[in-house]
Amino acid sequence: MWLPFLGLILGLALGLLTDIQIPSMYENYLSIAVLAALDTLFGGIRAYLQQVYDDKVFISGFFFNIVLAAGLAFLGVHLGVDLYLAAIFAFGVRLFQNIAVIRRILIQKWDERHIKKSEKTIE
Amino acid sequence: MSRNKYMKAPSRKSMIILIVCIITGFIIGFSYNLTKDNKKITSPSVSQEETYREDLIRQQERNKELSEELNELQQTIRDFEKTFASNKDEFEILQQEAEKLRLMLGEIPAVGQGIRITLNDAEYNPNNSNPNDYIVHDSHIFKVVNELKISGAEAISINGHRLKSNSYINCTGPVITIDGSQYPAPFVVEAVGNPEVLISSLQIVGGVFDQLINDQIVVTIEKKGQITMPSVNETQS
Repeated sequence: MWLPFLGLILGLALGLLTDIQIPSMYENYLSIAVLAALDTLFGGIRAYLQQVYDDKVFISGFFFNIVLAAGLAFLGVHLGVDLYLAAIFAFGVRLFQNIAVIRRILIQKWDERHIKKSEKTIE
Repeated sequence: MSRNKYMKAPSRKSMIILIVCIITGFIIGFSYNLTKDNKKITSPSVSQEETYREDLIRQQERNKELSEELNELQQTIRDFEKTFASNKDEFEILQQEAEKLRLMLGEIPAVGQGIRITLNDAEYNPNNSNPNDYIVHDSHIFKVVNELKISGAEAISINGHRLKSNSYINCTGPVITIDGSQYPAPFVVEAVGNPEVLISSLQIVGGVFDQLINDQIVVTIEKKGQITMPSVNETQS
């Protein structure tokens, strides 16, 4: 259960330790990649909590989203339209939705447990 | 059962989650790092540019100030030099003037080119009853001396007596009294100065020379390459 957090911390450490410089024009891609990764992650958590989690969907969604967002941003840069904003918007909305769903599920679970607990104590 | 299943297949599922988490973390961390670096880079570069600009402006202002100061100093030096030069000139002029004045006063010995004028009484003429008509009078000396002075003679002496600025010449019978000393004819007037100028001024038509000749005075003018005149004090002492 702690494996994902461990991985996250490891990744963070790696990312903070790497000292690679990329041109500032690719920062948009990076921001979109961050959003896509977070979105996929929370989507995975939601799916897990909803018990519809699938490895293939998760992993494909992760990479496909990132690639799609990067491609959109690339297209936007070359077309002169800020298409990466669309990606950010979409990912942002989805992120909030996912988090909202996760929150609800967790609250529901907590409530259920509480009820169970109280039932037990009554018994 | 489910627990068992979860435990049974940790490798694949967990690995995927781990990889995704690592990638996400990496991206986030990298992004954070990059943003921080960019901030660090851009803000210092901007501030550096700013500081460089300010430095440049300060340097330019300093340069301006310094150039102004330089100009001022140069101006001061020029003024100084000018005053110095003028002072020098003035000093030289003053010195020359003082020298001239000293020469006129006869306080220093006069040495240099000059002329000698000898005024002598005419030969005794039996036809002329009045001896005043053929002897040298003080007026003649006056004329000569005045003409010499006007012509720029630096020093004049009569029979070796240096004339001062306040010298007086009197006619006392057959002799002339100069500053209390009597001198008989012939009178030798020596003058230090430019000989050409002095002679030409004396020999001007209708000038002193002609008048003297008219008065039947024997006048000889000779140019002297070197005349040495003692100072007044030496003469008196």
